Amino acid sequence: MFKVNKLIISASIAASAAFFMTACNSEASASGASHSGATAASTAYANGKAVIDGGVVYPVVNGKTSDYVVDTQAESMTFNYGRTPTANELAAWDTDVTHIKLPPEGSGSVEEGEELYEAQCVMCHGDFGSGGGGYPSLSKGNAVELQKTLTNQRFDPDADGPSRFFGSYWPQASTMWWYIHDGMPHPMSKSLSVDETYALTAYMLNINEMVVDGVEVDDDYVLDQEKFSKIVMPNVDGFEPEIRGKDGIENVRAYYQDASNFGGQKVNPSERCMKDCLEPTAKPTYIAGTGISDFLPPMSTVRDLPKEEGGFDVKAAYESACAMCHSAFLAPGSSDWDSYTGEGMDVVYKKGLAGTEGGMPAKGGASFTDAEFKTIVDYLVSGK
Amino acid sequence: MSNKEIKNSQTDIEAVASDELSDRRAFFKKAALSVGALAGTSLLANEHASSGEDDPFIMHHVKWGQKLGDPVTKNRYGMPSKYEHNVTRRNTKLLASGNFQASIAVTPIHESMGIITPNGLFFSRSHGGVAHVDPNEYRLMIHGLVEKPLVLTLEQLKKYPSVTRTHFIECPANGGQEWRGPQFNSLQFAKGFMSCAEWTGVYLKDILKDLGVKPEAKWILAEGSDNSEMGRTIPMDKVMDDAMIVWGQNGEALRPEQGYPVRILLPGWEGNLCVKWLKRIKLSNEPFFAKEETSKYTALKPSGKAIQHFYANEVNSTVTSPSPEIPWKDVKVGDLIEIEGLAWSGMGTITGVDISFDGGKNYVEANLKGLVLPKCWTRWSYIYKYEGKKIILASRAMDDAGYIQPTVDQETLITGIEAVYHRNGIETWEVAPDGTVSHMQMRSTLKRDETGKVVIDKEAK
Repeated sequence: MFKVNKLIISASIAASAAFFMTACNSEASASGASHSGATAASTAYANGKAVIDGGVVYPVVNGKTSDYVVDTQAESMTFNYGRTPTANELAAWDTDVTHIKLPPEGSGSVEEGEELYEAQCVMCHGDFGSGGGGYPSLSKGNAVELQKTLTNQRFDPDADGPSRFFGSYWPQASTMWWYIHDGMPHPMSKSLSVDETYALTAYMLNINEMVVDGVEVDDDYVLDQEKFSKIVMPNVDGFEPEIRGKDGIENVRAYYQDASNFGGQKVNPSERCMKDCLEPTAKPTYIAGTGISDFLPPMSTVRDLPKEEGGFDVKAAYESACAMCHSAFLAPGSSDWDSYTGEGMDVVYKKGLAGTEGGMPAKGGASFTDAEFKTIVDYLVSGK
Repeated sequence: MSNKEIKNSQTDIEAVASDELSDRRAFFKKAALSVGALAGTSLLANEHASSGEDDPFIMHHVKWGQKLGDPVTKNRYGMPSKYEHNVTRRNTKLLASGNFQASIAVTPIHESMGIITPNGLFFSRSHGGVAHVDPNEYRLMIHGLVEKPLVLTLEQLKKYPSVTRTHFIECPANGGQEWRGPQFNSLQFAKGFMSCAEWTGVYLKDILKDLGVKPEAKWILAEGSDNSEMGRTIPMDKVMDDAMIVWGQNGEALRPEQGYPVRILLPGWEGNLCVKWLKRIKLSNEPFFAKEETSKYTALKPSGKAIQHFYANEVNSTVTSPSPEIPWKDVKVGDLIEIEGLAWSGMGTITGVDISFDGGKNYVEANLKGLVLPKCWTRWSYIYKYEGKKIILASRAMDDAGYIQPTVDQETLITGIEAVYHRNGIETWEVAPDGTVSHMQMRSTLKRDETGKVVIDKEAK
């Protein structure tokens, strides 16, 4: 056991940390690991609080946790490695945007957002955020209307499923601003300015037909930090347990204590069902049709020698790095190259290698050699 | 499995038969065993024994026994036998969000042995591609509600006294394609969104001891440095229990697919929470609503409300042998065959597994074997006497948190069929009399009653 008084830790957290880390309490589960030598599981932390995920913990007892021996000498010490970051370093990495931490000051219009979207996003997310090629849809229409579909269950295979899009599902707009700024566009993330991020967020609100502070986000709307702070997503209360506020942690603990909240089944092992356990209505249900079997590589358990590797596989490379746009009519496909090849293939190669403002990332955002990349360009331009 | 060895010997025969060694061809001819005849027999060794003929691979020198092997200087980093090339991660287009960067490749658990997944087979999931981090440029920053924020280089991080623990990591979408019925006739795809490894690192709480955690800190953000800056909120409860910052995996550095050089490991919790290429930990009084804890990794219930912060992968199990990929072959009535499987729980330690031969109607106890550790794959076994008739295999695990796997009906009546994540209903394999294995489910037809509650549709045929 480490000594709490050795910590440079502020007083009250020291008390709670001590709770977490002191010995096993008396509520240790009787059904804990029973093999000799292992310490028992506990359904509560040593401070008496329920384990947050509804499971158990393994307090260190006599230098062991479960079957593991603990290095109690190391546990009792502090090490103080590393250094304190500078103010600039902290600011550079502290980029999260949340319901309590607004984006930096700036602004952007729906109009600017649409222009950016058409240049950098549409090739994956589709017209007006409609999705395509497996990439996430960003909107399917009015957020408030689509939120009503969240109770849909496809018990009838032909029924419509729930619409889980930014407008209808996401609880916080901060998530969108933060993700656009740090994670998008996918092949070249962290390249959008603060104003551009406001503009794209405004466009997201627009295509989801959202209302902010009583004002419809129409084509002339300009989003800024002040207006951003007023966004309330339609589905803000659509999640459980409630994690916001001072009771957030307690709410989570309470939620996972009740197995019926999340579909868990508790049982006393000696009373578990061993005979006639299945619902009488349950019947064998088989894979419909052939199911999904387009596995790569194809399924095989044979022990033989692999086929000779044929060097660079241009088709596979195209499929993995280029097809997402070029086979989806979101970028020039094989049939519409004439307007690009007029200046000669060297110009096409050059643009592809360096990337273009039209949305083509350098080398498609992949890590091919220049020679490999040119082979792929030839493959694409020649009609595959 | 002896079946597998038999199969191996068969394919070896075929490989050898096509080999350039003409004396071997001559031998085959002499033994009147054409390649075609070989392909038609699968119990070659036994048939030789029963027919009184000698096994050519005993009677003749094998080709690798008469020439020099490789020098020890070859393959400085060792590789599996070339014959094992089909034991590999696999992907399918359905599970790629447009490309194979925001995608998953799953583990061949039908070929898995014991409780450790080799690093090259550990399932690989990323949201912006596998990042290749220069360890010399690696920095970990810890800040927010601490008295003393911290920056560590990789060397400094690895100076902390190391802790080694064996835990599985499971994507909570494991089995998530089959809420509305089975889709994959494959164990690799039905249950292979998980792997298990021995991890080496340091408890995050032991680093925080140095920093003066403020009392209002309730949550942390763990954020990656990859293209997608994948981040998730984690409650301090887990941090002060068993959350680890890890750099070692099965005795070597993390693989790039696992977050080289550093990831956070939250034993038993959603793989998505175990953020890879970890760059930043921020302590806060409020959760962060990161993209992957709102738009995804939330489980929608029939009420229209979604479970958020659904941390632990619940108790679960599967039969791994037989499987659709490796069925029973060449079995005779009365043969003894080992049925083997895996059980795991993110809430604690496996305490028992029951096995059913009639799809989950009646159960008998199976046997746990090997190491039985918290939040870790656990092997189980049952020796079955083959009866030559159809059976429906189902396994049902329990853990020391007091949970038992639900039936498909018990689970879907509460969470519906649109939850995507955290499906742990009892899995079933139908084994035909010839040993062929088909993935199926035992389930009732559901409907809404007049109050909107999900109930079993008694009228359904």
